[in-house]
Amino acid sequence: MMNDFSSRFALYWPALIDGALTTLWLCVIGMLSGFVLGVLLHLMANGRSRGGVACARVYVSFFRGTPMLAQLLLLFYLPSALGVDVPPVVAAAAALALNTAAYQSQILGSGFAAIAKGQVEAASVFALGRYNTLLHIQLPQVLRLTLPALICELIDVIKVSAVVSVISITDLMRVSQQLVSQTYRPLEVYLVAGLFYLLLTSLLSVLGSLLERRWRERC
Amino acid sequence: MDELIGYLPDFLDGMLVTLGISVAAAIAGLILGFALNAARISVPGFTAIYAIYVWLIRGTPLLAQLAVIYFGLPVIGLRLEAVEASVLSLAVYSGAYFAELFRTAWASVPGGQLEAARVHGISRARVFWHIQAPQAMAFALPLLGNQVILTIKESAVTSVITVPELTMTAGRIVSTTFSYVMPYALLVLSYWLLTSSVAVIARSLGLRVTRHLRG
Repeated sequence: MMNDFSSRFALYWPALIDGALTTLWLCVIGMLSGFVLGVLLHLMANGRSRGGVACARVYVSFFRGTPMLAQLLLLFYLPSALGVDVPPVVAAAAALALNTAAYQSQILGSGFAAIAKGQVEAASVFALGRYNTLLHIQLPQVLRLTLPALICELIDVIKVSAVVSVISITDLMRVSQQLVSQTYRPLEVYLVAGLFYLLLTSLLSVLGSLLERRWRERC
Repeated sequence: MDELIGYLPDFLDGMLVTLGISVAAAIAGLILGFALNAARISVPGFTAIYAIYVWLIRGTPLLAQLAVIYFGLPVIGLRLEAVEASVLSLAVYSGAYFAELFRTAWASVPGGQLEAARVHGISRARVFWHIQAPQAMAFALPLLGNQVILTIKESAVTSVITVPELTMTAGRIVSTTFSYVMPYALLVLSYWLLTSSVAVIARSLGLRVTRHLRG
């Protein structure tokens, strides 16, 4: 029985690794572009333009208030209805990025708030310019302050990314569905797929707490 | 516009199903989470079980858990209807989050109170129910709304196993009318409406419950 399972597992293994890699790179791309968007959203929400502030608020409320699956479906079908053909991978990465940007803007907001105001004032006295201040003074510190929270967010992105299987992207979830339809062993395959997700998220959370501890020691 | 009015009854039905499974699952998850936290506090050795439960459930996607319950459990003879499997997996899922929420709520009650009560010979159970629970619940209540919102959002994946909730309804309309934009736009708007209303209700409830704390 056990022997049986290990020989079947050898069969699942390559496909599941493939799927896990797809999940991982899709999430990393979504996370990184979500970070850039999140910074922009944060700047907009704290900017001088009233319209910008309102837009950022509506954006965050919308993407945090609706399911990822619904956002994905809208994003996947909207362009094709308008006559633009968007490949599923692009729609999936874009949906993940737009979704996580809303959450990341909130996380980054607390990071920006934690930096002493004097630094920004000093930078402006030295005529550093807003862009340079952001890139060289604020962002490095914000990144460091919020990295544990950002890793938690990446874990959430990985979990929520399972829905991209619906638009036929061969991520971990889709690959396991395919394995089920080949082997007719749903319990076993989905449990193994769950273990793969657990491995991904656990590794990340260990990494997160290691980084946190290391930086606290250095401070 | 006529098109829109044509969908509306279906969308309302879908919204009711979404609300029904989410509320049922949130209530069950709330009870489960409360029980898990109570057991963690009062049953020796349960901490490890608690930690494993939270780790397993929060470390994997709901969609994977739903697949195990709906497609996997029939292998060992436990066949559930789509709606039952959805409510069960949503309850198991939100239970882990509720449990963690209660854990932080209980941690917010100063430990000195527990010690003082024990010194006065008040039993553990009474301390739990009469000293810790009221304060912890006042701490937790404003946060519970978030968890209900999360459950509503997560319930969208139950459309994958053909539960006739909002997302499934939109998908069905799309496949019969071949118009994509309108139904899916209406879909996100419906969810937005649902979650925003829950947020408003939770906020006013939270304000009312913590009134005594603000003086």
